[in-house]
Amino acid sequence: MPTRVIVAVLAALLMASALSLITAQHRARDLFADLEAAQQLARTSEAEGNRLRIELGRASQPAAIEAAARQLGMRPIDPDHTALLPPAARSARP
Amino acid sequence: MKRSPEADPSRPARAGRRARGRRGGADRSAATGNPLLAVRLPAWRSRMLLFALFCGFVALAGRAFYLQGGVSTGFLQRQGEARYARTLDVPATRGTITDRNGVVLASSVPARGVWAIPDDVDASKQGVAQLAQLLNLPPTELRHRLAADDRNFVYLKRQVDPDVAQRIESFNIAGVHTSREFRRLYPEGSITAQLLGFTDVEDRGQDGIELAFERTLAGRSGLRRLVKDRLGRAVEDDWLREPIEGRDVRLSIDNRIQYIAFAALRAAVEANRAEGGSIVVLDAASGEILALTNWPSFDPARRDHMEPERLRNRAVTDTFEPGSTIKPFSIATALEAGVVTPSTPIDTSPGWIRIGGRTITDTSSHGLLSVEQVLAKSSNVGTAKIALQLPAQNLWDTLTAVGFGQAPHAGLSGAVTGRLRPPGTWREIEQATIAYGYGVSVSLLQLARAYLVFARDGDIVPVSVMRAEAQAPAVPVLRPQTARAVRRMLELAASDEGTAARARVPGYQVAGKTGTARKLRDGHYSDAYISSFVGFAPASGARVVIAVMIDDPQGGRYFGGEVAAPVFSQVAAGALRALQVAPEAQALALASGEAAANAR
Repeated sequence: MPTRVIVAVLAALLMASALSLITAQHRARDLFADLEAAQQLARTSEAEGNRLRIELGRASQPAAIEAAARQLGMRPIDPDHTALLPPAARSARP
Repeated sequence: MKRSPEADPSRPARAGRRARGRRGGADRSAATGNPLLAVRLPAWRSRMLLFALFCGFVALAGRAFYLQGGVSTGFLQRQGEARYARTLDVPATRGTITDRNGVVLASSVPARGVWAIPDDVDASKQGVAQLAQLLNLPPTELRHRLAADDRNFVYLKRQVDPDVAQRIESFNIAGVHTSREFRRLYPEGSITAQLLGFTDVEDRGQDGIELAFERTLAGRSGLRRLVKDRLGRAVEDDWLREPIEGRDVRLSIDNRIQYIAFAALRAAVEANRAEGGSIVVLDAASGEILALTNWPSFDPARRDHMEPERLRNRAVTDTFEPGSTIKPFSIATALEAGVVTPSTPIDTSPGWIRIGGRTITDTSSHGLLSVEQVLAKSSNVGTAKIALQLPAQNLWDTLTAVGFGQAPHAGLSGAVTGRLRPPGTWREIEQATIAYGYGVSVSLLQLARAYLVFARDGDIVPVSVMRAEAQAPAVPVLRPQTARAVRRMLELAASDEGTAARARVPGYQVAGKTGTARKLRDGHYSDAYISSFVGFAPASGARVVIAVMIDDPQGGRYFGGEVAAPVFSQVAAGALRALQVAPEAQALALASGEAAANAR
């Protein structure tokens, strides 16, 4: 009799373990799918970030800034319109 | 199949007994009552059947083992895997190229290649027209490509914007597919064009930095096995080969100075109706290249406008005879050898001298000059007279030590060595002409690097296009006092007394030398000139060395002091401002005095 009990218990344990294995695998696959989706999001975000950095580079190009400055009526520095003040004069300013 | 027991008359009784005992055949025979009608089955038949069944099961088990147990698993596993697993090529992103401050100069963004299997395409005329419109192709061209029956794969367009590709996918045209690829973008466009080079449609470097640093930038694509579930989601993966992402490259270029140099160069080349030109700006302390630009240039986004003439990184790949810009090295060699001092008088009258049957001339007769003035006035006669007092070996040693005749290891593709013949082959006239810059050829990058000697108290460092973390060791070439003496002469040359008064920068003391050399065409000196200026600023404690070269100016002026020196002035002013170098007190006092005088 005890042998039969042991066999029954072991069989029940085996079934439980088999079921938990399947559940664990299912959960692992679910999590992996989530991870995959998150990684895909990371990749697209990185590509987007790259694109924005390029865009930033384009917008902050000296040529673009110069063109915008000209539209505002500004012009490049030229020696005739440059006044150089010694450092002492700066501190004397109000 | 029943056989009569009489078929085997020799053993009826025994067989009958056995059959009776086992199967109760006796009951049946007893029921019929006729022993002749009793069916007796021989025992071996059932055994035979049992054995056949056994063999059948053994064969099945063997087959199962054969297929599943590891003997021949390839076919079934392949078939099984094909239904849930997929092997994907994972492309590696090419590294980004940035300037010294992290501004992006070149970067890859995802794009799509649109391709088709011509046999499968059965698009209505409407569909093809829509596709053509999205791909920005003429419909006839698209139909022509789709009509290529002899091919089962044809690219319709590559490097298409992902949004456009998505719209094409949404049409669901049979036989039209898209694939992942990358597109390289250069935000600075033609300003950095030759320096950075470009990549081909497969994102491989073809020229410039893209080619020189291909191994760093490229990376390697990975291979990944994915298991998908019934919904098409990836549920398991296995890296067969991990991708190696391309590494970023950080250049020593400063994009502000690069732009300043590019804008000044383009304006000067156009104003002087020149064939082309180049500018190199070096950091005097580290030897890093802060700017390197050429005109004419090209737009890397427009492949159809790429002409070989525009692709060349002239400052690195083209050589020219430097002319007077080489004189400071001759004078420095003479000072170093103790042949002359800065104040030694040299008689340059009557403005020409005959050496070995050839005549060397100055632009005008300068009379009696000091060595200092020989350089400031750029007298060929004076320089030749000084150089002829030297052993040829000394001059060659100096020119070699500053890098002439050797390709600079700057990390740029196509760098040339230039030409400097060994001193044993120099005749007297050649020694004289080499001293003022004819009979040697250099690239603008070599020339700029050589001037580090005067900007840096007599030593020289390697030039580099990469942002240097560690300082390369400096190699001494001249004694510091010699370098300082030549520097004073170069300051004089860039003053009202010299040939390059227009190189001056308000608020800073600058030093430099002009060069005006006849251009060699097919081995003969032509009427065309190359105007150059190499200098540094501020003169004491130099921050930048700037070399300007204008090729064949045809606007009526061709002297280096008139064509190249003003460009130097603009670039130096911009570069010093970008580097936040405070104006010098002495130059400041002078400038503010002028300003005050103007105000009055």
